[in-house]
Amino acid sequence: MNEREKGGVPDDALIRTTLAGDDGAFGELVERYKGRAFAVAVGIVGDGDDALDVVQDSFIKAYYKLKEFRFGSNFYTWFYRLLVNQAIDRWRKSARSAEVPFDESWLSEDVSPADSFAYPRTPEDLARDRELGDALQRAVDSLPEYHRAVIVLREVDGMAYDEIAKVLGCSVGTVMSRLHYARGKLKESLKSHREG
Amino acid sequence: MDCRTALEKIETKGDGLLPREEAAELAGHLAGCPACASENAAISATGPALRALTGIRAMEKAPALDAMWTRVRAGVEEGREARLRPSWIARWAWIPAAVALAVLALLFYPAGTDRSPFHPSTFDVAVEDVESDVATVALVDKGEDLPRVIWIIEDA
Repeated sequence: MNEREKGGVPDDALIRTTLAGDDGAFGELVERYKGRAFAVAVGIVGDGDDALDVVQDSFIKAYYKLKEFRFGSNFYTWFYRLLVNQAIDRWRKSARSAEVPFDESWLSEDVSPADSFAYPRTPEDLARDRELGDALQRAVDSLPEYHRAVIVLREVDGMAYDEIAKVLGCSVGTVMSRLHYARGKLKESLKSHREG
Repeated sequence: MDCRTALEKIETKGDGLLPREEAAELAGHLAGCPACASENAAISATGPALRALTGIRAMEKAPALDAMWTRVRAGVEEGREARLRPSWIARWAWIPAAVALAVLALLFYPAGTDRSPFHPSTFDVAVEDVESDVATVALVDKGEDLPRVIWIIEDA
């Protein structure tokens, strides 16, 4: 998951070098995580420019909080906590964050039939179907913020349940129920677009 | 395996957490149940669809993302300068402090008759002091071409 596993300079070493006064080491951390951080941020805030600001602000905040980092824990889990909170704050302040009622029916296990529609799997697939992209974005926007954070961390970043729980400060059970709700919502969006 | 159990296992399978035997059992159910197979396809599509959506945004913002370290470094420098600069509060804190000092000075400054007597030795050269039990008396030279002044200050 982190660079240590890929054989690069461990995150911990880069943090120590940064704390010793070498900002270039922090630059390496930025380069290492900016792509993943952007994907998570844009999944939560929806808008690309807002996501860039969120990533930038999160890295700046991380830089100044770096002395609080506990060595031995994962940098990206620590950093993602800052990032997700920053993204949720940004989302709350944005005009897109209209109140969306929590719909308990999404938690049910009811099944609706589906046909053999080919679901988009790549950005190119989705770019070809702008309507579906918009419908999917609306479905993501309609999710409560912490549900959105959970599905983005799981599906976009590939985090494990326990890592998501650490980032969001909740139980694994809460992560699983939020994930189930969010998937249900996105699944219905995909299906209704296909049926409409 | 019934449909309800199969639906419960679809997400677990998607997250790679379903044991091999159960996964095989689920696959067997999906092969014979179009409704569950369709549900499986839709649920399994949510992850790639979401990744595709964020992927589009990432492609749109790729140049700005490339320059992220430049942006962050600029923000760090700005923050560093802001920390070195006295804050707004620190910059104006002397005003209430000065007001407080002025108030204290007014409160504790000896008023009226309690004030110390004006004494010639504070600003002029006493040419001669005259001994007296009841007053401070001095002959003061105010300067060249100026007449001598006699100070007589009654002692309290």
